[in-house]
Amino acid sequence: MSGLKKLIAAAGACLMLTGSFAASVSASESYDPYSYDRWGDAVASQVGYTAEYFVDGQSIQGLHDKVREIEEAKIAADPDFDPLTDEWKAMYGLKEPADLYISHDDLMYIADKGNDRIIVTDLDFKMVKYLDTFYYNGEELKLKKPEGVFVDQYTGFIYVCDTENSRVLKSDTEGNVDRMFEKPNTELYSQDLTYNPKKVAVDKAGNVYIVVKSVTKGAVMYDIEGKFLGFYGANRVEATSEIIYNAFWNTIASEEQRARSTRTTPIGFTNFDIDDEGFIYTVTESSDVRTDTVKKLNPRGANILSAVVGDDVTFGDIAPAYYSIYTKNSALMDIDIGPNGEMNILDFAHGRIFQYDKMANLMFVLGGDGDQLGTFRSVSAIESKDNMLYVLDSRKNSVTVFKRSAFGEIVTEATNLYNEGYYQESYEPWLNVIKYDGNYRRAYIGIGNALLNSEQYKEAMKYFKISISRNRYNRAYEGYRGKLLEKYFTPAVIAIIVIAIAVTVIKKLNQKGIITFPWQRKRGV
Amino acid sequence: MLDLTQGQFVRHVIMHPFEGFEDLRWKKSGSLAIATGIVVLLFIQQLAYNRMYGFQYYSSYDKIFNIVPYFFRSFGIFLLYVVCNWAMCTLFDGEGSMKNIYIVTAYSLIPYIAGYLIGTVLSHFLIKDEYIFIQTFEIVGTAWTVVLFISAMKAVHQFSFGKTLALIALTLVAMIAVMFLLVLLLTLFQQVIIFIFTIYTELSYRLRV
Repeated sequence: MSGLKKLIAAAGACLMLTGSFAASVSASESYDPYSYDRWGDAVASQVGYTAEYFVDGQSIQGLHDKVREIEEAKIAADPDFDPLTDEWKAMYGLKEPADLYISHDDLMYIADKGNDRIIVTDLDFKMVKYLDTFYYNGEELKLKKPEGVFVDQYTGFIYVCDTENSRVLKSDTEGNVDRMFEKPNTELYSQDLTYNPKKVAVDKAGNVYIVVKSVTKGAVMYDIEGKFLGFYGANRVEATSEIIYNAFWNTIASEEQRARSTRTTPIGFTNFDIDDEGFIYTVTESSDVRTDTVKKLNPRGANILSAVVGDDVTFGDIAPAYYSIYTKNSALMDIDIGPNGEMNILDFAHGRIFQYDKMANLMFVLGGDGDQLGTFRSVSAIESKDNMLYVLDSRKNSVTVFKRSAFGEIVTEATNLYNEGYYQESYEPWLNVIKYDGNYRRAYIGIGNALLNSEQYKEAMKYFKISISRNRYNRAYEGYRGKLLEKYFTPAVIAIIVIAIAVTVIKKLNQKGIITFPWQRKRGV
Repeated sequence: MLDLTQGQFVRHVIMHPFEGFEDLRWKKSGSLAIATGIVVLLFIQQLAYNRMYGFQYYSSYDKIFNIVPYFFRSFGIFLLYVVCNWAMCTLFDGEGSMKNIYIVTAYSLIPYIAGYLIGTVLSHFLIKDEYIFIQTFEIVGTAWTVVLFISAMKAVHQFSFGKTLALIALTLVAMIAVMFLLVLLLTLFQQVIIFIFTIYTELSYRLRV
């Protein structure tokens, strides 16, 4: 008897232990994960990625030795050189890092803006290369506040935005500059404008796209020979009431009045990324403009994302007040395209990462403001590699590494199958998603579509109703009703005919006085 | 001639848009109870239209539900109209009493309520492509109500057609004015209450010292 009691007590203790263990796992992130429901209200969710660790400059292997080596060389050359200034001490770590790029040969390029250098590491943060000096026609070039770096996957050339020096360097891996892209000397590029390249990307054909701070007409575009081609992919102007008002007055104003009025200019995009198919994705950081914050551009510069998903998708936080003490809008800083076309978008205003699938459906929201692991002070760049995310923080001077969680893996699997059109195959993964997170609306839609495809209309209707997607429900209901009609059409028609005949016969009989109804009797008597 | 019960009169009025209300007036018929019942139906129709429509057409935001707007949209607007119309008709030498206006206005609403209720029921059986059938019911119901309504106003006040339209327009203006005044009154009362409360607080502090 007492043995049994002990057993039960032990089992209970075990249960409690596992229970508390599970609780501590789910509460391990330092922020509240959320997603949005059909109405755009934030609802609690699961984390799609967990913050694994973070790496600051000091923990990049080999950087310390390299800087010490330079320091000794400097002291040897110049006895007055003081290695104890704050400026030089910062060389041992990162200082305001501005950009991050992971090349196809798994090397990570960090544009260490404050220290005027590019650090190349492998994915375990072991330094591979240290680029602060470049050579061009025998001349030594030093970087000054570089803000962007890119590696062409086809040719292996490194492109560096030497921002304060107003040039973009195209160099091989050893630092030998092949070509420089400077301010285009044409009428198209207003010579009053400064030329501070911030980000650079290169397409398959070798065309170079450069985001320049003061240019709002889109990216400055060069061909492979370094010839200026024009501007690429300008944003549209948001049709605010003020702009419509101005446009109306401009149509009736005289030439002189028009010259005096303010020009309507769009907001230039902030950052971009190029996917393997050659499409360029742009993000625009603006707290008040909502049009064209995220675009997917074809080679002509036309936005094909809005053609697919329409203009009513809000990227970033839908309602800024939710799950946040701040009431500011998202400011999209960087975009990265994952292996399956996922868009990882970095929100500077709240330090959050929004991951969308290629159809612009929100998958996960990660991060937040803070000092703990997984939260940020001032995010500046994001990169992804397989199931990892790397986020650069320019105030914490560190790279935070996220790894996709078990929940994230299931959602990604289901989303990929679904987006490829394998609805039936995505059924099981979506069911698993609901087990993790009952608020995940896309899962209900996925299950509903799988059921709809296998003609289980009634079940499909149930799931579409939960996910509040009217059009899909309508389709399922159409099928359900069709089936019902098919089944009951003949009996229903026969029943109607029989009833009609019966009614006419009874009426006839009633008229002839053979049958009298109870209510007629009253009046008759 | 036309010895109809109250119930039969309702049917007669609806089916004879042009002389029905004249007959009703001539016979001094019409029931307050039935009219009130119709307004209750209007309330139910408003609720059903917003909350029980077929899911494939409309899904309401179910997280919050407040019944006050529905009260206002049915009873509120109806009573406001009756009062304002009565007030306006006294200026125009209309012959309708408040009771008559109440009754005929309610009676003329029947096709509208019926059309939308039928539409709401149908919305559970039809798909989106067949919305035209629902729409037909709703439009016919509304149009019928408009005809009945003008005819009712014309008969109850013994006006010409043009004068009836003018009266309806003026009634709408009066309704807006009344609503504006109500809002103003509420705000003023709020201020008065705050004022009194401030004096009370002030006094209670003084008395305590």
